Amino acid sequence: MMEKKKLRRADFVFSVILLAFSLFILGNTFTMPMKDSWGGVMNVWYVSPALLPLIVSAALIILGVALLLYSIRSGGARDFIANIRKRTRGISAANVRFLAVLLALASFVYLNIPRVDFFLCIVWFLLYCIVVFYFDEATLLVKLSWFYLGGNLLLLLLFITAIDQPISRAFPYGIDVLLLLLIIAFWLYTRLVVRADRRLVARLRTTVIVSVAVPLILVPIFKFGLLVPLPHEGGIIGIMSLIRYALR
Amino acid sequence: MLVLERLGHFFSLVFTLGSDPLNLVTLFAAMLMGIIFGAMPGLTATLGVALLTTLTYGMETGRAMIALLAIYVGAVYGGSYASILINIPGTAAAAATAMDGYPLAVQGRAGKALGLTTTTSAIGTFVGMLFVVSMSPLISALALQFTSFEFFLLAFFGILISGTLTSPDLVYKGWIAGFLGIFLSTVGRDGLQFYPRFTFGLSDLDGGLDVIPVLIGAFGIPQVIQVLKDKVVVGEAKKFHRILPEIRDIVHNIPAIIRSALIGVGIGAVPGIGEDIAAWVSYGTAKNSSKHPQTFGKGELQGVIASETANNACIGGAMIPLLNLGVPGSPPAAMMLGALMIHGVTPGPMINFDHPGFILQITAILLLASFAMWITGMLLAKQVIKVLRIPPPVFMPIVAVLCIIGSYSLGTRVFNLYLMIPIGVVAYFLTEMGYPIAPLVIGVILGPMADQNLRRALMVSKGSFLPIFTRPVALILFLLILIMMISQFGFYKKLIGRIKDRIARSRGRTRQSD
Repeated sequence: MMEKKKLRRADFVFSVILLAFSLFILGNTFTMPMKDSWGGVMNVWYVSPALLPLIVSAALIILGVALLLYSIRSGGARDFIANIRKRTRGISAANVRFLAVLLALASFVYLNIPRVDFFLCIVWFLLYCIVVFYFDEATLLVKLSWFYLGGNLLLLLLFITAIDQPISRAFPYGIDVLLLLLIIAFWLYTRLVVRADRRLVARLRTTVIVSVAVPLILVPIFKFGLLVPLPHEGGIIGIMSLIRYALR
Repeated sequence: MLVLERLGHFFSLVFTLGSDPLNLVTLFAAMLMGIIFGAMPGLTATLGVALLTTLTYGMETGRAMIALLAIYVGAVYGGSYASILINIPGTAAAAATAMDGYPLAVQGRAGKALGLTTTTSAIGTFVGMLFVVSMSPLISALALQFTSFEFFLLAFFGILISGTLTSPDLVYKGWIAGFLGIFLSTVGRDGLQFYPRFTFGLSDLDGGLDVIPVLIGAFGIPQVIQVLKDKVVVGEAKKFHRILPEIRDIVHNIPAIIRSALIGVGIGAVPGIGEDIAAWVSYGTAKNSSKHPQTFGKGELQGVIASETANNACIGGAMIPLLNLGVPGSPPAAMMLGALMIHGVTPGPMINFDHPGFILQITAILLLASFAMWITGMLLAKQVIKVLRIPPPVFMPIVAVLCIIGSYSLGTRVFNLYLMIPIGVVAYFLTEMGYPIAPLVIGVILGPMADQNLRRALMVSKGSFLPIFTRPVALILFLLILIMMISQFGFYKKLIGRIKDRIARSRGRTRQSD
């Protein structure tokens, strides 16, 4: 949790967001049937689907006002305004780390999971996420994050422009191969960057082993053990299936 | 005669469950996994139950319950390892244990402390189990008298009390979290008229938000972000030769153990309040009632006993409202509720009719779990603490993968993942700003219960709220809610202050006249 002074500043900001959000819910609630007929059912206020959202939005507005008043009384609002004026440019190390986690999670879930082989997605995510935090060096984190971001932007570009479709038609599993190449490139780049530091080279080795071992265990458990169809079953999972059915 | 018959049935159930080798393997494997989860800073009992849920949905219900309860019991106990050996609580429930556990380890008595926590945790779980078996028929019978008004007020009471007691900053921050949870529960087509609420034309939202991805998002993702962002550094664990369960210490502290277990069960039975609060309240009570409170915080065995007995006894306490009312007593119990529903068991007053013997089965599993925990703790403690050497930056990304694959596999919907990440990020910010997450989750779970019962109740009463004042249980719940809310206002605090002043003054006058 934040320190008290920062907390009161955050209370001010959050109370404003909460009030706006509650008003939005309230506005949306008024579009719900309260007295009209819906699906052949004549509504009265007490069976209306709007009843609970109405209570919730009213409660949130009251609590939002209480929080706003408290933040003003405790100096949070004043502090917030003063803080805006003297705000310096730049991001703190902790926030860089936060952005790195967000980058990893967002690209993993929104970009890669629906479109690329699930096994490779996990390797790509783990390799980046473990390396940058396990190395624990701010400059390396930024450097490697740019590389990772670049790789994901390349994939994003392919998906947005729909170039991935002719690629997949011309070369089966073409996008999977591309991600595999990106993974290898990331590994080689990291190896190059840390080659002088034996401690980091050892950590990279551990990371690679973990990044490959985890999906190697998880994917068969879910795919063949629990019979869960995985989000995107591409080249690697296809090979796993072939091995599995050859062994049966 | 009936008691003896029930007892006989109970022990035959314990024997049946315990004699199946596959059940035993599941029990010990999940227990070990739970202890490891609890011991690793950053991983919690809730997350453990959440992630294991995805692996159990192919199992038959009984075995799945063995796995889930074992990981729950194990994780609550496992938190004490990190508290005692590295002074970082493995789980929030073990934070109070670190107060005296680590000083004991520094004094070279880590083995003794772990021996005590292992034994008292097992006793705590056992006492919790006794309450599940004895209180459930009473609460179930009472709950059968409930009408929709009572259920609506109960859901509301659960959300508000959870917000009141778990908020680390302002009380109404807990309420805000609770109401946000209720809001999330209203997304999707409503249960009575099928009207789409807050779906914004997205067909994926028509079915509402799946509970498990919301729970995993709210508990797992903030944990991952926090540990990686804040660079949690795990220190060198203190050495110990072997765990020493000293019977003399246990016998000497029996009154303290019973008191702590009762506190744990009592707090566990209150909706939405977790093991962490049980442990702190028990620790505080032990300190206040001790003849030598100055020794607390410096390696006092009673401190360790108090927190560890209470947090494990809380598990049984949390199962009582969960099974009989459908209201989870703690965040891991909320997760258990999701798991139960996946396995086709709907907890609530009808559980004894829909699934006869299920509560007794849960009780039998709790008994087996307390034994398994003691045995695993005694035999494998030295091996388990090796996991403390794994650096958090290595295991937290793996936890993130487990959260993602877990959320996805329950409904095989990628959309669940799209929702899980923003919920996790918002939950992270809320936690940072002093908002408790438990009421939010309780709100998501109890929201539909509040919604449908309120409307159903008003439908029967034709829009009248009068039944709240004519039905005793409804009136009690209503008054409790009212008092809980009013007690946060300044005028109420002033009024209470004045009354206390007057009482003190009149007492002073009486003494003077004497």
